[in-house]
Amino acid sequence: MIEVSNIRKEFKTPVVKEGRFSGLRTLFTREYRTKEAVKGISFHVEPGEFVGYIGPNGAGKSTTIKMLTGILHPTSGRVSIGGLNPHKERRSVVNNLGVVFGQRSQLWWDLPVKDSYDILAKMYSVDQADKERRLGQFAELLDLRAFWETPVRKLSLGQRMRADLAAAMLHDPDVLFLDEPTIGLDVNAKRNIRHFLKLINEQFGKTILLTTHDMDDIEQLCNRVMVINNGELSYDGTVKSLRETIGLPTVITVTFRGPFVIPEQFQGEGNLSVPIRVTGSLDNTVTIEVNRREMNTLDIFKELGRWGELDDIDMEDPDFEDVIHKVY
Amino acid sequence: MTVRSWLSLYALLIRTSIKSRMQYKFNFILASFLAALIQISEFLMVAIVLYKFGAIQGWSMHEIGYLFAVMTLSKTLYRTLADEVHHLERYLVNGELDQLLTRPMPVLLALMPQKFRIMLGEVLQGGFLLWWSLHGMMAAGQVGWSAVPQSLYIIVTGAVILFSIGLATATFGFWTTRITELQNLTEDAARTAAQYPLTLYPKWMSSILLIVVPVGLVNYVPSLYILRGELGAWVLPALAGAALLCLILSLKFWQFGLTKYQSTGS
Amino acid sequence: MLYFTLASKAYARNLQYRGAHMVHNVASAMFGFMYACIWLGLGADYALGDYGTQGMVGYIAFTQAALWVSSFVTNGLGIPQAVRTGHISLDLMRPVHLFSHLMAKEWGQIAYQFVYKSIPIYLVYYVAFSLQLPGKAVTFLYVAIALAGAAYLSICINYLIGASALWTTESSWLYWGNHAMINLLAGFFIPIEWLPGWLQTIAWWSPYPYLLYVPTRIYLGFDDVSHLWGTLSWCVLLTLASLLATGFLRRKVEVQGG
Repeated sequence: MIEVSNIRKEFKTPVVKEGRFSGLRTLFTREYRTKEAVKGISFHVEPGEFVGYIGPNGAGKSTTIKMLTGILHPTSGRVSIGGLNPHKERRSVVNNLGVVFGQRSQLWWDLPVKDSYDILAKMYSVDQADKERRLGQFAELLDLRAFWETPVRKLSLGQRMRADLAAAMLHDPDVLFLDEPTIGLDVNAKRNIRHFLKLINEQFGKTILLTTHDMDDIEQLCNRVMVINNGELSYDGTVKSLRETIGLPTVITVTFRGPFVIPEQFQGEGNLSVPIRVTGSLDNTVTIEVNRREMNTLDIFKELGRWGELDDIDMEDPDFEDVIHKVY
Repeated sequence: MTVRSWLSLYALLIRTSIKSRMQYKFNFILASFLAALIQISEFLMVAIVLYKFGAIQGWSMHEIGYLFAVMTLSKTLYRTLADEVHHLERYLVNGELDQLLTRPMPVLLALMPQKFRIMLGEVLQGGFLLWWSLHGMMAAGQVGWSAVPQSLYIIVTGAVILFSIGLATATFGFWTTRITELQNLTEDAARTAAQYPLTLYPKWMSSILLIVVPVGLVNYVPSLYILRGELGAWVLPALAGAALLCLILSLKFWQFGLTKYQSTGS
Repeated sequence: MLYFTLASKAYARNLQYRGAHMVHNVASAMFGFMYACIWLGLGADYALGDYGTQGMVGYIAFTQAALWVSSFVTNGLGIPQAVRTGHISLDLMRPVHLFSHLMAKEWGQIAYQFVYKSIPIYLVYYVAFSLQLPGKAVTFLYVAIALAGAAYLSICINYLIGASALWTTESSWLYWGNHAMINLLAGFFIPIEWLPGWLQTIAWWSPYPYLLYVPTRIYLGFDDVSHLWGTLSWCVLLTLASLLATGFLRRKVEVQGG
């Protein structure tokens, strides 16, 4: 569905002059500084996939998305969406594309919500019957009836986001690009939107590309995640294997019954050669960090069993946030 | 997206905008009247001078009122239909232009239906001035009834010319982002200058106002024919040609600017 | 000391934009240039009273430059904005009287505009039209007083306009109405003595002539220094009005919560 082949994006920014009339001189300067925002990214998305696209700010995320939607032309490389090139055939591509920008609404600010849908339907040549049917579905799924007649400027953020989602889906595109759709929303609103997105992906087979800073979005929705850092794709695979690849340790809290002994080689903070690291100890409880790729669970338990009589074991997998931080 | 469907889209926008504005009917009418009154004070200033002196370089009060009226109505027509072009700076600063690039139509055609601006105050003021000046000149035998359709005609060509100037000015935004200062010059200052007969200004200035920023073609040049019988009847079709030329040039410039935006971002 | 700080902060805040302001000055100068051309055109056909053509050009030049001191003042001194955001309650809580607080800020703004707008613009006219500066040194003193008075009057008027924002959301109408009055009654484009009689009477019953006409007349060398008494009386009157308005304002905020 989406095919990206070694796209690069270079920005030439004029070198800012200092001193008097700096503004004017910068305008006429011939010195440019080249910044490579995207340094050769390739990936392939099949129809029906739900892909997360994450990265720190300034990594080239929005630049990539803009190249996919035809807003920006790549310096080199090829993009193809549904077999069409968004730069040469912007209008055809866009007819089959839905975009939601989390920070800005695409609805008409002063008009009631329903009027925006009427106008958009005309824009995308959606005929009356289809429009009514789809809006009926969305109104139910997203609970839009409550503010159907309200001007967009009076909506809460959650309501506006729901309305925007319906607007993006009105012309039944096959591909959806979502840029931070859950930003600033409360827990309920987030849940509502995630439910909707999962539905259209699983039941209607929509291909979705989601950029977000919210790791729960990724965990709950995406089967695949791509990490971009410094203009390059540093990871492309499933969420599960991302955790494993990063190899952040699992934190295990062990409670012993009765006395226990921590063997010599595991004591001391600076001992990196052993797979088990003791990070704390209080009364009968010991906290350790283990990388489960270095030592499997059964072996860990056997080892702990040698220290003393086990009473309780609590295992905590690394936070996805922390995993991501590691990638960044 | 065909022409017909775009027009039907725009018509829908007009209907819904008017409907939602009408909800505050009283406020709206009152505000329009006040706006009309306040704007007429600009003409009153000149009218006072003319009252005392009689004419400015041979142009009477009614003739100058006519210049004012045509310019106001042309501007109103342009800004009613395409106000967002004038506000392109906001779209560039907020990144809202990107949104328009996700629509299945040329960016300019996606930009215009973002807002329909009802400028009743300006319509009242311009309309009143037009009626007053034409009425005065008809009473004095200076013009006949043919002046009415002719005036409406030049208001439309004038709107096209002002739109072209506005579009070209806005296109600079693709390079400089901020266009307010430039708009002050090419739109506000130029327009004010053309409200008075161009013969008042030094040659270099009147040439600029006819060729570079052709506001002079909106009201002054056609008035020479309509009010004074100078030049000849060819002026009217020639104006359409000039308006079309301005439009084509500014559209080309806009497309160039847009390609630049798409290669270098904002 | 506080007031000086408020004023200089307002001044400094504008400094970073002086590049853009200089570009804007070109457009502003154009307007004055146009008006001057109109009078040049008129002067070719008619005698222009006390002034003569060159005098009228000088008249336009000075009034245009003076606009930045006595006309282009912050809308309502920022009060309507503060009312909308609710900030007004904070402002009223300060240990400084609202009027003097806002006025100090505005003086900084006006000082900046004088240096970076009025003076450059006047210089352009001076060169373009070969104007003459006043002959006597004492004229400059009187002009300074007149301009300071004009600025003060403008501040008061805008304060009252701003105060009205607490009772109506349509205070912007008052602001534009004020501008319309300036266009007509302050001697903006035409000296007041050439207005129709009835309009002249109305003008002199208002503070508007003291905003532009009086400073310009003094600058051009007409011995109208006695007008400064009028400036003074209006200053006193509008100060009283402003203090009164503050009282109403304060009561309204305390009662209604702003």
